[in-house]
Amino acid sequence: MRTGRLATVLGLGAFVLVVLVPFWWIASMSFKTYEQIQFAQSIYVPRPFTWENYTGLWLGTRFPLWLRNSAIIAGANTLASLLFGCLGAYALARLRFPGRALIARGLVVSYLVPPALLFIPLYRVLAELGATNSLAALFLSYPTFTVPFCTWLLIGFFKALPIELEEAALVDGATRLQALWRVLLPLAAPGIVAAAIFAFTLSWNEFLYALVFIQDERTLTVPVGLNLLIYGDVFHWGELMAASVITTVPVVTLYMFIHRWMVEGLAAGSVKG
Amino acid sequence: MVALIGYPFSRAIWLSFTDKLVGYPERFVGLRNYIYLAQEDTFRTVVRNSLVFTVASVALKVLTGLAMALVLHATWRWRSFFRGLLLLPWVTSTVIIALTWRWMFDAFPGRGFFNSVLLDAGLLTRPIAFMATPEGAMAAVVVANWWRGFPFFGVSYLAGMQSIPGELYEAAAVDGAGAWRRFWHITLPGLQHVMVVTILLTFIFTLNDFNIIYVMTRGGPGTATQVFATYSYEVAFNQLRWGRGVTISIYVVPLLIALIPLVSRHLLRERAA
Repeated sequence: MRTGRLATVLGLGAFVLVVLVPFWWIASMSFKTYEQIQFAQSIYVPRPFTWENYTGLWLGTRFPLWLRNSAIIAGANTLASLLFGCLGAYALARLRFPGRALIARGLVVSYLVPPALLFIPLYRVLAELGATNSLAALFLSYPTFTVPFCTWLLIGFFKALPIELEEAALVDGATRLQALWRVLLPLAAPGIVAAAIFAFTLSWNEFLYALVFIQDERTLTVPVGLNLLIYGDVFHWGELMAASVITTVPVVTLYMFIHRWMVEGLAAGSVKG
Repeated sequence: MVALIGYPFSRAIWLSFTDKLVGYPERFVGLRNYIYLAQEDTFRTVVRNSLVFTVASVALKVLTGLAMALVLHATWRWRSFFRGLLLLPWVTSTVIIALTWRWMFDAFPGRGFFNSVLLDAGLLTRPIAFMATPEGAMAAVVVANWWRGFPFFGVSYLAGMQSIPGELYEAAAVDGAGAWRRFWHITLPGLQHVMVVTILLTFIFTLNDFNIIYVMTRGGPGTATQVFATYSYEVAFNQLRWGRGVTISIYVVPLLIALIPLVSRHLLRERAA
């Protein structure tokens, strides 16, 4: 038993190290001066500790603008996905209509179709609509992966709730929408939170569509903007690290609070790996 | 759903039969794109790279995922805290993960983690350019992709292990089965379903991965890490040959058509149960 516990502790330690070292490396570099990075001084801990990368990033680049764009897109897309996701999931979980199984299947399939297959034709469609090179392109394209996903996740949560509650509401004279809004949604709150977090994270981190659909530097989102920092000027290392830290912190903080729900969501929906 | 996925997809198929160049109207050319690619050396390299990248990543993820699940399953205190901690790479933006690993493998000691540490410890006399060789670059992108993906496997397998009834293990122990035999005859069969789902899902998404490779190597050095998605992007947006670019990603479709029903059947069965 003793050796078993020792092995567990060692294994756990190894995994924690593997996961944390890269995070620590970016965080520590974001607080180093240009010289410290360039000449490999104070490798393990930044000494002296500096905020210059953060101020440089905030004042000297378009990063604040990219952050704003990312926040707008991720926020709006999360709301839209929840709206369509809830309505769609309710219909698929509760209403009986022909073709229901087919739609459920189509949902899974469309969630599995990789963006790498769709980006060129989507670009053409968006160009014909005159929507490329604007945030509208992302509003129109991000639902292709968040809506099927949220719907799928929510179906699982809705199905787990007893149907009698809504039936009681319907008998009492509520409309279907009222039953959904007043009875089902409050009960499915954990599922909705999980779906919202996933939709937000997926949109916040999306790269390919933003790279392809948007050329104007002021309209970029953070992930694409970061790449611009590398190729635009090779010497922006510290600022890049600072940008990585700023981008990662909101998602990680959000997640720290609700990771239990997320794990439940994982189990319910089998998420992209 | 039809508008979001079906329409662009049918446009993709049409485009693949044309010689569309940006700025010129498209002309129908039949199977010429398909034949051209089948005979092109670069495309053969791309197919091989994609398979190496995918198979290596998925195999590593399965093995470390199993190890992580076993360790977490044996953890007797703060299990959900460690589960949350180890899941962090999975919520972090892939672009930032790719940038981080690029820096970890960087040839300059001050920026590259491995070179800094090895030089500091006196194990190296001069830095190694890890990503300058074809094998090194491939290994680096596999490592980055593995690091992002293994926590998802670990958490899924942990959930699977927790649903295996404890009596099975007790009965086996009474019958004199050792730890290894219990793992082999009880744990692995119990995980069969979740393993099939995670492996297939990840196989599909990794085969079409764009972000990690584009950010870390742009398919280089040469074409050593060029895969379907990055090559398709290169041909469509740098050489401006849209017809051919789309054809590259359509070559993956037969494989998807074979795999997607398999995955969705497993996912839907999970729902029904």
